[in-house]
Amino acid sequence: MTTGVLGQLVRPVLRALPRRALGAGAGAGLLLAALPRLLSDDPDQWTALLVLRGAALALALGLTFLLDDPARQVTVAVPTRRMLRTALRTALVVPLAALWWTAVVLLIPSEIRPPVGALTLEAAAAAVVALAASATAVRLTDEAEPGQRVAIALLATSMAAALLFPENWGLFAAPKDKWWAVGHDHWAFVLAGAALVWAACGPEPVRRRRLRLIPS
Amino acid sequence: MTTTVSAAGLSLRYGSTHALDDVSLRLGEGVTGLLGPNGAGKTTLLRVLATALPADSGAFTVLGHDPGTTAGRQAVRRVLGYLPQTPGFHPDFTAFEFVDYVAILKELTDRGGRHREVRRVLEEVDLSDVRGKRIKKLSGGMRQRVALAAALVGDPGFLVLDEPTVGLDPEQRMRFRELIARAGEGRTVLLSTHQTEDVAMLCHRVVVMAGGTVRFDGTPAELTARAAGRVWSGTERDPAAMAGWRTGLGAFRNVGDPPPGAELVEPTLEDGYLITLDGMAAEVAA
Amino acid sequence: MSAVLEKAPPAERADEQRRSRSAVLALALFEARKLLLRLPVLAMFVLYVAWIGWTMRDAWTTFPALQDVDRATQTGPLLPALAVLLCANQAVLRSRRQDTDRHFDVLVLEPWRRTVAFALSVVPAAGLTALLVAAQFTWGVIAPGSVGHGSVGELLVGPLTVLLAGTAGVLLARVVRSPFAAPMLLVLAFFSTLFLGAISTGSDGSATRWLVPVIGDASSKTLPSDLLGRPAVWHALYLFGLALTLALAAVLVNGGRTKTVAAALVVAVGLGTWGAVGQAAKVSKSTTDARVLATLNPAKVQSCARHGNSTYCAFPEWMPRTGTWAEVADHVQSLAGGTAAQEKLLVRQRVDARYGMDGDGAIEPSTTPYQVTVGTRWGGPRVPEFAAAVSSVLVTGSEKASGSLCDGRMVTIMWLALGWQSDPLTQLRAVRLDDSVSGSAIVLSPTNPMSMTAEQTTVVRELLTAGKVTVAPKVKAHWAELTAPKVTTAKVAELLGVKAPAGADKCV
Repeated sequence: MTTGVLGQLVRPVLRALPRRALGAGAGAGLLLAALPRLLSDDPDQWTALLVLRGAALALALGLTFLLDDPARQVTVAVPTRRMLRTALRTALVVPLAALWWTAVVLLIPSEIRPPVGALTLEAAAAAVVALAASATAVRLTDEAEPGQRVAIALLATSMAAALLFPENWGLFAAPKDKWWAVGHDHWAFVLAGAALVWAACGPEPVRRRRLRLIPS
Repeated sequence: MTTTVSAAGLSLRYGSTHALDDVSLRLGEGVTGLLGPNGAGKTTLLRVLATALPADSGAFTVLGHDPGTTAGRQAVRRVLGYLPQTPGFHPDFTAFEFVDYVAILKELTDRGGRHREVRRVLEEVDLSDVRGKRIKKLSGGMRQRVALAAALVGDPGFLVLDEPTVGLDPEQRMRFRELIARAGEGRTVLLSTHQTEDVAMLCHRVVVMAGGTVRFDGTPAELTARAAGRVWSGTERDPAAMAGWRTGLGAFRNVGDPPPGAELVEPTLEDGYLITLDGMAAEVAA
Repeated sequence: MSAVLEKAPPAERADEQRRSRSAVLALALFEARKLLLRLPVLAMFVLYVAWIGWTMRDAWTTFPALQDVDRATQTGPLLPALAVLLCANQAVLRSRRQDTDRHFDVLVLEPWRRTVAFALSVVPAAGLTALLVAAQFTWGVIAPGSVGHGSVGELLVGPLTVLLAGTAGVLLARVVRSPFAAPMLLVLAFFSTLFLGAISTGSDGSATRWLVPVIGDASSKTLPSDLLGRPAVWHALYLFGLALTLALAAVLVNGGRTKTVAAALVVAVGLGTWGAVGQAAKVSKSTTDARVLATLNPAKVQSCARHGNSTYCAFPEWMPRTGTWAEVADHVQSLAGGTAAQEKLLVRQRVDARYGMDGDGAIEPSTTPYQVTVGTRWGGPRVPEFAAAVSSVLVTGSEKASGSLCDGRMVTIMWLALGWQSDPLTQLRAVRLDDSVSGSAIVLSPTNPMSMTAEQTTVVRELLTAGKVTVAPKVKAHWAELTAPKVTTAKVAELLGVKAPAGADKCV
């Protein structure tokens, strides 16, 4: 039953995806990644790292709009579960995102390309944080299109984090910094934490959970 | 009456506000009207019964299924059609595509059969001619009918309609009433509305809600009967009346406790509704 | 006929204009309140306040120069600026998002007037930023020992950045109506600016360099304020003109095609261009000349003051600090013996200003006998560094001579520099490049650094532990031997009654 639904859903869900937001994120990312080839005669690894991080953030911002569904109220009480619908949306985007990331990485000239594995971890963590944030917004509010709020929150948080996080957390370190390795352990934690939040926000609760002082 | 939907002790709070306060009711086949002022808890009750919002406490069953478990909720959703108060659409979808999309989500996976069903409901809401048009090109009334078609698709046994006639012009409203009356044949329909005429014309039963509780549950005739002997006509607005207005004919129609010798007139459903709400106001004041 | 219909009586028209103006103002206040109470804006202002506290945490001990404090106020406002851009953008889009456009568009207040109100609604956020900038700067002003002058132009950059961000958000919403445009363009702009900043390290890029709101410097030294050569006022004018241009452009694309708006737009573009051209100009000849003069012949521009035996010459802005220098110099000199204890020193403030804030140059040690160099910064490690310079001159006779020093005199120099301090070991750590108190290390001074061997370090540490009362008389008694060239560290240790360290004494 479920697989049948999924198969049939692929086409309409593809059409219902917020393609413009995702496309804008992907386009902005590609543009940033192309900067070293376009504008610089003598690019260095630091600028490559910078534009790759910018590209990852751009796609993450696009992904915050992934769960925007103007028809949310109409489809709130259908038997096909929200988790399934969310998973389908994500599954449709993941291969494209992977392809996009490959293109972004290849746009960076190989001699200045930072370690690809580590940067992929950062990009994946940023993407999952974006997905988890939008899943949280959907889980906790009734809003049909929380994407913009989530994008603003994500952008503000990431900029503040880049400015204020202590250097020894290593989240925004450069490959030659001594915090690079530690930083990527932290990125792995971020990824895992965000994935947990994301998973936790999937199911629709049957009961409202609320804080009660006296159990009833 | 065979009970198809029954709820007992439904309560739900937002902070310190009781949106639902121990609501119990039984619904049978046919259209049941849900009346009440704004903020009475109508939409909350409808969302709870449509499994869009879990209640804090209480339980209900729909056509024998208990939505208190995940599996039970799935079972309820398979027999449910829900028209929300403010339906949203994918504006780039055509009317057909949108209803088809909802039909897939309702697990109608046989493509041919589903398309026939979608065409049938679009026919039923009189949108066959525009089914290939994008939703963003449709008028407000047409969009409302697309949402109704989405609720009707899959022939659900329990239909929850939240103020479907708001914003429609009189002709569209008449057509909507017809649709709802037809939908009520052999189905359980719960219809929330501000329009007492909707209830008077469509419903075999009416529930009045206020302050999160059920104030009245009975037939429209019984609600009308509450105002018997409490509506009178006069040459001016009676200051003792709880409501009074000049009718089109020039005389004043007063609702409340009539003075001795007043010229009593036949009450309507609306009078009964006003009297019921006023009783509540008195209760609150007491 | 039509002329009669179109022209209402002047009194009525004036009244109408007044009403519409006050409606715009009321709407602007309403939106401003909503904007300031948005969670991202509130959170970013809170973070900004925390950032101010963090940046200024040791202002009371670091003797700030106000021409540095004013520039230090510029990066913090980027936090609220970011939130204001996004939230102002969202506020303008709110009406479309919630489908009230159809209703609002036919109201008395036309859409373009509402845009004016939206643009005005970011002004209070800029005002709040100005207050916080003022608070941060005032903190620097009242910090004990602060010197110099702040520049209004530099101080305005923070609030103007917030204003610019807000108007950019409004314009963006009026041009691109999708909710994702603002965050996306912001990321694009932010990273490409960083990228362009990172690649254009050449000196040719000064015109484009100043187009972004906040411009950092390649150097972190402190210069006399008249030698900075930063086009701060031009830059403030540029930012203001740009913000005004964006706001008026938003009004214009929204249908506000009145003569007033068009004229104001022309003025705003003019202001912005004027500022842009002004800030792109090369550093003026008089400033570069003054920089060369201040670097090579500082005596021409400095004033001097006598404290005790010695003379202290400083750039005018630093004259209040000569007393503080004199205290340190007197302490050091009081520990010296022989003629050095009465020697008349000339303490001269020097800085390499030739490259402005674009680069650093080392200050050559002075060859003049008994002349000591002091830098433009003070507090923290700068104090023991100056003390080391004073003591090295007292021991060797000139700064030049102490640069190539490689013998036991280094022990005496370090003891003079630190022996009078209440916590000399901490100061020893501070004055050494690697923050160590053992092993060999470089000792910093305002001019050329000196080097300490591991053995000298051990002896100095023991002397400092022994205390001033025990060591000072011995230093004075053996002054001639201690300051004789080629004296070995072992000999110095023996003279001062400390165990001589094993191992050869080799300079690094």
